[in-house]
Amino acid sequence: MNSPKLKLFLTSNLDIDDDEILSILKSCQVKSVKKDAFLLRENEHCKHTFFVESGLIRQYSIDDKGKEHTISFAPENWFVSDRESVYFDEASAYYIQALEDSEVVMIDEDFFLKLSEEIPSFTDFNNKLLHNHIRHLQKRINMLLSASAEQRYLEFVAMYPDILLRVPQTMIASYLGITPESLSRVRKELARKNFKK
Amino acid sequence: MKTKTVELVASPREPHFVGDGFRVHNFIPSGYRMDMQRMSPFLLLDYNSTYNFPASEKPRGVGVHPHKGFETVTIAYKGKVAHHDNSGGGGVIGEGDVQWMTAAKGILHKEYHEEEWSKKGGDFQMVQLWINLPAKDKKKEPKYQAIKNENINRYELPDNAGQIEVIAGKYKGTKGSASTFTPVNLFNAKLKKGGKADFQFPADYNTALLVLEGNIMVNGKEETPTDHLALMANDGENFEIEALDDALVLVLSGEPINEPIAAQGPFVMNTREELMQAFNDFNMGKFGYLED
Repeated sequence: MNSPKLKLFLTSNLDIDDDEILSILKSCQVKSVKKDAFLLRENEHCKHTFFVESGLIRQYSIDDKGKEHTISFAPENWFVSDRESVYFDEASAYYIQALEDSEVVMIDEDFFLKLSEEIPSFTDFNNKLLHNHIRHLQKRINMLLSASAEQRYLEFVAMYPDILLRVPQTMIASYLGITPESLSRVRKELARKNFKK
Repeated sequence: MKTKTVELVASPREPHFVGDGFRVHNFIPSGYRMDMQRMSPFLLLDYNSTYNFPASEKPRGVGVHPHKGFETVTIAYKGKVAHHDNSGGGGVIGEGDVQWMTAAKGILHKEYHEEEWSKKGGDFQMVQLWINLPAKDKKKEPKYQAIKNENINRYELPDNAGQIEVIAGKYKGTKGSASTFTPVNLFNAKLKKGGKADFQFPADYNTALLVLEGNIMVNGKEETPTDHLALMANDGENFEIEALDDALVLVLSGEPINEPIAAQGPFVMNTREELMQAFNDFNMGKFGYLED
């Protein structure tokens, strides 16, 4: 069990000491996934939340025409999961795939139960995380409906400062809901405004 | 003067592709204790051991990407690389040539197999080395030193043992062709079977030997085979290599830059804040724009 980043995340947000956290983390498996390997495929039932210790994971769907739509990127210190599938035990509509060689902690429902039982403050903390997530998703829906390509791009790089250098432009366009040509225009225009020789 | 001994002989790690045109074994900084601090001023050593790329109409390579805060040195042993940058600069690194690129305050470029070479395909062997810059030089203007093979200064070894191409630094009075910001020695030692060459660097200089062809013996006892790297300890000044076959060895030795390193992706700065600023600058187009 080697998940230093998850341990740090929990101890810095919860009133819990190292021994307690280690005994809870013991039940979680750490999995090494090679670039391109899948953690979840469409129609499977997702059983875990994945915490990314290292590497980069992507969640996406594929439409009837075979086009990919990126729901989220999860670099180091991020969680990724299909919550509908885990919580409601539904078949997933998504793929979760490694974009780089990665290490993820496989967190199951027992882990959350144990944390709730042993640490009273966990339920509040988890509530906060869920609301953060809802806020993020709502903002994303609103931007996809109303924001310009440039606004979407600026929001994206503020949240994911190093992803632009780690994934193909087509994937970023598929996250922003714009064409790769439109993304290229946005970046060209920013360079025109901001590049000083 | 004490002998500089071999600290370890590293075998090539499992190769990975950089873009689709460079199949490299990484020696620095991953694994073998050869991290950026230990190897300073050398930040990265990617070695494309001889690999046959089939003919391709569309040149393979690495698309547009930035660099900031350091220098990249590309040595083409077999095959040819073309490069272009956002300020209109570009050129071809031919067989035996060296490109010494000072990214410093920032550059945007792309690197591909040269078009005509790509159409024929063939054996490709290359080294890319990243060399750090001290804080005071990280904000300087970018520049290139395109060094053609015929312009690399050479030292002929006695007894017909071979020759030393002095890319940078100094070997027995022969000065290197490239200028550097801090003391760096970079040599191609081309030795005939049985040929010997001795080297002398200050004990604190971080030093390694990458064997590109043949097999060598270091200090008469440590055998280092083809595609392996001998990391030298910081315990002395002098060492000797002997070629067990006709051999080609890249010798690197540099004075450590004793400053903090904040490195991520293509940026190498001194602090986390400077690193975040570099990402932000790139995202906001401050490195300019270049078509893929």
